[in-house]
Amino acid sequence: METQVHPTLLGSCAKAATAAEAQFRVNYPNSKTRSTRIFALDYKAAEVLHKISEAPWNGAHFLTVEPGKDGEDPTDATALRLSHPGGEPADFFDEINHADVIVLISCETHATGTAEAIAKEAYARKIMIAGLALAAGESQNAVNEVVASLRPYASVLVVAQDNDFVPAMLSALRA
Amino acid sequence: MLRKEINDLLTQTDPGTAMGDMFRQYWIPALLTSELPENDCDPVRVKLLGERLIAFRDTHGRLGLIDEFCAHRGVSLWFGRNEEGGLRCPYHGWKFDHTGQCVEVPSEAPESGFCEKIKLQGYPLVQIGDVLWTHMGDKDNRPEMPEWEFAMVPAAQTFTSKRWQESNWLQAMEGGIDSSHVSFLHSGGLNTDPLFKGAKGNAYNLADKKPVFEVVESDGGLFIGARRNAEDGKFYWRITPWVMPSFSMVPPRGDHPVHGHFWIPIDDENCMAWSYDYHPTRALTSEERQAMMDGHGVHCEYVPGTFQPLQNKYNDYMMDRAAQRRGDTYSGVKGIAIQDGSLQESMGPIIDRTKENLVSTDNGIIMARHRLRKAVTALRDKGITPPGTVISHQKVRSVAKVLAPDASFAEACVDDLKVRAGQKQTSV
Repeated sequence: METQVHPTLLGSCAKAATAAEAQFRVNYPNSKTRSTRIFALDYKAAEVLHKISEAPWNGAHFLTVEPGKDGEDPTDATALRLSHPGGEPADFFDEINHADVIVLISCETHATGTAEAIAKEAYARKIMIAGLALAAGESQNAVNEVVASLRPYASVLVVAQDNDFVPAMLSALRA
Repeated sequence: MLRKEINDLLTQTDPGTAMGDMFRQYWIPALLTSELPENDCDPVRVKLLGERLIAFRDTHGRLGLIDEFCAHRGVSLWFGRNEEGGLRCPYHGWKFDHTGQCVEVPSEAPESGFCEKIKLQGYPLVQIGDVLWTHMGDKDNRPEMPEWEFAMVPAAQTFTSKRWQESNWLQAMEGGIDSSHVSFLHSGGLNTDPLFKGAKGNAYNLADKKPVFEVVESDGGLFIGARRNAEDGKFYWRITPWVMPSFSMVPPRGDHPVHGHFWIPIDDENCMAWSYDYHPTRALTSEERQAMMDGHGVHCEYVPGTFQPLQNKYNDYMMDRAAQRRGDTYSGVKGIAIQDGSLQESMGPIIDRTKENLVSTDNGIIMARHRLRKAVTALRDKGITPPGTVISHQKVRSVAKVLAPDASFAEACVDDLKVRAGQKQTSV
C-alpha cells in the first residue's frame, strides 16, 4: 500500500475537540433497545429486583428463578421455572432466545446449578453474562461463596455493598 | 449511559458545586516541588478546581498558595516581586505573605492597621515527596496529611510528572480504571517501552485480549481485577486500586517501577494528569529515571518550558499513520500517556454521557461513578466525609499475580494489596 503523507500541525483535533464543535455532533439514536434479562437466582435477590422493576426500563425483563424440586437436576435448563415480578410464569427459552445481555444476581449460594444452566444456554447463544453478588448484610464468607458460584460463568463479576448499585448498573447498561 | 444531571454533578468542580466541595475534602497535588526550587524564586500561576491562584516560596522557605489577584486593583500577582518574606504587587506595592495576609500597603501608615484588614484567600501548601499538596476546604476539617506510598519512599525511589490535559477530570480518570483498553490501545508499547518491556506478564496481556473482570469495593474506592489466561488453567490477575476521588495505580510489570495517576481538575474543561513512578524497595536506576524524563512509560515529552505535551491536539498528536499500519502503535499516536490523553480529549471537553453505550465490561467505571455519586450526595446532604481522606485508605498497592482458577483475588491478594514497608510489590 502506498504510504499517504499528510502534513501534521493542521490541528484538526484542536478544532474538533472544542465545546463549540460538540453542538455539531450528529444527533440520533446510536443504539437500538437492548433485550436485557435479569435473573434473580434466589429470593433475596428477587426482593431487590421487585423493588425496582416498576421503574421505566428499556425492555428489561426481571425474572425470578424458582427453587428446583427435589430430584431435579439444577443444571438442566429445561427444568428451570421462572416468574415475572407479578408472579406470572415465564418461559426460560422464550426469554433467553430474545436476550442480548444477561445479568445474574445472587445473594445466596444455593443457586450454583441454576447459574450453570443459564450460562450454558447463554454461551451457546454467545450472550455475555454479568454476575452481581449483593453483599449488603451478608457475611464475607457468604459473599465469597456467591462470588465463587458465579465466577465460572460471568464475563464480569461485581460485588456490590449496597443494593442501590443494581438500578445504577442497569441504567448505565441501558437495560 | 449517565443521566445529564448526574453527569453535571460529577464533572463540575468549581467553588460551590457538590463535586467541588468533595474535592476540597482532600489533600490534592498542586505543584511539583521543582516548580518552586528555592527561596524567593519566581511565583507560579496555578489553577485548581476553577480557582486562579499563585504559588510562591518566600524568603524564609514558607510555601504560599494564594488568590492570584491583588486585593487592591485586581492585578495578577504573577507580575509580583517575591522578596523579603512576601509577594509584592508591582502596581502600587501592596504586599502579601504566604497565607495571603496583606502585610504592607505603602500608601497607608503602618499604624493605621489598614493592611490587617486585607487578606487574600490562601491555602496551605505542603511538600510530601516531590509534590506540593494543598487542601482547599474548611481548615477546621482538614484531614491528616496524605501518605501515598509513592510520596513517602526516599527521593531516590520515586519520580513524578504532570501534564496538562484538555478535558474534564472524570473522563481522564475513567480511562485509568478501564483495564480493557490496554490490550488494544497500548498493545504496541508493552514490548518496546523501556519501563514495561521484558515482564512475563506482558505475554499474558497480549495473548488474551478478552479479560474477565471482577470489581470489588474497598474502603476507599474499588479494586478492579482483570483476569487473563495463564498456564495450566491458572489465571493472570492484574488488580487496579482506585481511591476516591481520583487516585489509581497501574498493576506492576516485572520489577519495573510501579506507576499510577491522580487526575486533578483545573477547571471543568481541563485537568492535570499527574503521573508517578516508584519502586517500594530500591532506588530507580539512572536508566529508568532518564526514561521517565524522556517521556516513556506513563510520562510524556513537553513543549519546552511548559507542562503541555509535545504531542498535543494542536499538532494532531503527531499522528503517524504508517506506524499505525505497521502495528508499532495501535492508534498511530506514540507513548502511553498521549495515547490515553489524545482519545480522552477527542471526546470533547466534557463528554455527553447520555449518548454512550456501556457494556458489562465497563462495570469498573459504572461502579466508580456510583460510588462517587453516593459520596458526593452524602457529603452534600448529610455532611458525611467521603472515603479516601483517611490514611488507611491510601495504603494500597496494585498487584499482578498468577492465581489458581478458583481463587478470589480479593482473598488471595489481601496482603499484596496493602502497603508493606520494606517489601516489594507483587508482580509478574
